[in-house]
Amino acid sequence: MMKDIVKLGLILAAFAAAACVGLAFVNQATEGQIAINQEKQLNESLKGLFPEAEKFNDITKELTLADPAVKLEAAYLVERGGAPLGIAAKASGNSYGGVTTVLVGLGLDRRIAGVRVLDTKDTPGLGANAAVPTYFVDKTSKTTFPGQFTGKALSDPFVVKEDIAAITASTITSKAITKIIKASADAAGARLEAIAMAPPAPADAAGGK
Amino acid sequence: MTKIFIIALLINNVVLMRFLALCSYVGMTSDVGQSVGMGFAVTFVTVLATAVTWPLQTFVLAPLGLGFLQILVFILVIASLVQLVEFYLKKNVPGLYAAMGIYLPLITTNCAILAVTFENISNGYNFIESIVYSVGVSLGYLLAMVLLAGVRDRIKNSPIPAFLKGTPILFAATSLIAIAFMGFSGLVK
Amino acid sequence: MKRLWNIFKAGIIYENPLLMLMIGLCSALAVTTNVQNGVGMGLAMTFVMLFSEVIISIFRKVIPNSARMPIFIIVIAAFTTIIDLVMKAYFPELSKSMGVFIPLIVVNCIIMGRVEAFASKEKVLDCVADSLGMGLGYTWVLVGIAAFRELLGNGTVAGLQVMPAGFEPILFFILPPGGFLVFALFISLNIWLKGRMQKAAAKSAAKAEEVAA
Repeated sequence: MMKDIVKLGLILAAFAAAACVGLAFVNQATEGQIAINQEKQLNESLKGLFPEAEKFNDITKELTLADPAVKLEAAYLVERGGAPLGIAAKASGNSYGGVTTVLVGLGLDRRIAGVRVLDTKDTPGLGANAAVPTYFVDKTSKTTFPGQFTGKALSDPFVVKEDIAAITASTITSKAITKIIKASADAAGARLEAIAMAPPAPADAAGGK
Repeated sequence: MTKIFIIALLINNVVLMRFLALCSYVGMTSDVGQSVGMGFAVTFVTVLATAVTWPLQTFVLAPLGLGFLQILVFILVIASLVQLVEFYLKKNVPGLYAAMGIYLPLITTNCAILAVTFENISNGYNFIESIVYSVGVSLGYLLAMVLLAGVRDRIKNSPIPAFLKGTPILFAATSLIAIAFMGFSGLVK
Repeated sequence: MKRLWNIFKAGIIYENPLLMLMIGLCSALAVTTNVQNGVGMGLAMTFVMLFSEVIISIFRKVIPNSARMPIFIIVIAAFTTIIDLVMKAYFPELSKSMGVFIPLIVVNCIIMGRVEAFASKEKVLDCVADSLGMGLGYTWVLVGIAAFRELLGNGTVAGLQVMPAGFEPILFFILPPGGFLVFALFISLNIWLKGRMQKAAAKSAAKAEEVAA
């Protein structure tokens, strides 16, 4: 009886050990590629917001979001030739189907340089259209839902169905994403104020790191 | 907190909106009593599984960089929890075991439970939120089970078009229930 | 060879895991909002099933009966993790759009069912045939449902515009209720197909008997 249990345990342990070792190897082999993918995606999105950008400095610690329901994931001071171009903030918040992650760029003119919806768990065909590049809230000008934010000033109201066009039948998603964008843009704006206070701006940005 | 609960229970109902746990949804709803039994058994195991896997991920797997073992560890945790619950009930609460026992082995392969434990982590919930979420999801499962069992009871003697007899009619009815559930979508702002 | 072919064939219609055995349904409905997802899920599933069945079959003599369940779970979970990591690394878009359903392959009853009922008893080659047949049976249904839903719900198939520009997509088919309805129709189609094939088989058998007589 005792011997049987020990034997069973040993066989089980052998399978478990083999599985863990095998997985460790596969993990080792794919880990790098996964990290590269994530970085590449982020870099492409950042470049999409600021095409002339050369360098992205991590300033995540220096941004504070006023809205507790929105979480700041990362923030970058975008630079070209040592001079700042603006701030890009990656933030997430709850939407219809779960957490939605958005990347927002704010230019020095305090206008939104662009918005990318990086990840959404909302309903395909409805809320998830926020991340679909071929879904247009305005079919004539081919404006996507995140696309309509480009060029908006921080002083604009950011109210869905007033100055923001909603995704068809997805008001909750539209409102949730607008809230994340507004919160992160405001935080980025506040940080830009702080940097611009003390000229020369780039030196201060470097000092703040 | 209530928001997480309502979304999990109604708006994103685990069966009707997310297609999870369909096997037992079709297999275990031939009468209402059975569906209630299965529903509560799942609720119990889901909450227990959340209470074990969340700390395990947060304090063991994540700090040690063993995130890649998540699937393996979580499914083993659920399988052994089911075994433990079975032993415990058999020995100490034979009445409850007689009522729930037959459902327990089926719970291991119920994908809703595993999905909840993964989502607690990927949604970034803290411990309390995870528990609330797991209760919401599993009560949503219970609700869907009871609804379908009720429908099945009703259509037992109804004239059903020949091509829909058997399982197809169940999915057609589910489609209608799901349409009704889409009406909940405006519930949380 | 004939035997292997018969094993392979069974999974496609007669014992189709989704339409006849009614198992492994969750992923079949959840990911079939477009064809790419259907193909990706089908292949991922086939991969896990093939390797799990082969491994279990190789070790079937040393796996003690009383500990077989945990061992099956370990093997299936290991291959699920592998496909999950590989997809994250090399098909990040696909992996993202299927989300939690890739890790959920581990509790897909089809794999557990085949491993328990088939791989733990049969030879390795038979298992290869069985897993490929079951995998293909699973994949064709997924792709079929996905093509139907994507065409009506979005006007495209595999991302290519098929419907004329004036077509207003019928959102219903992409939404969950539409998924359930399309699936109901697929089951009844398969039941009809099976009935016809059985009739044809009975007829040809009767003919053969006549000839023999």
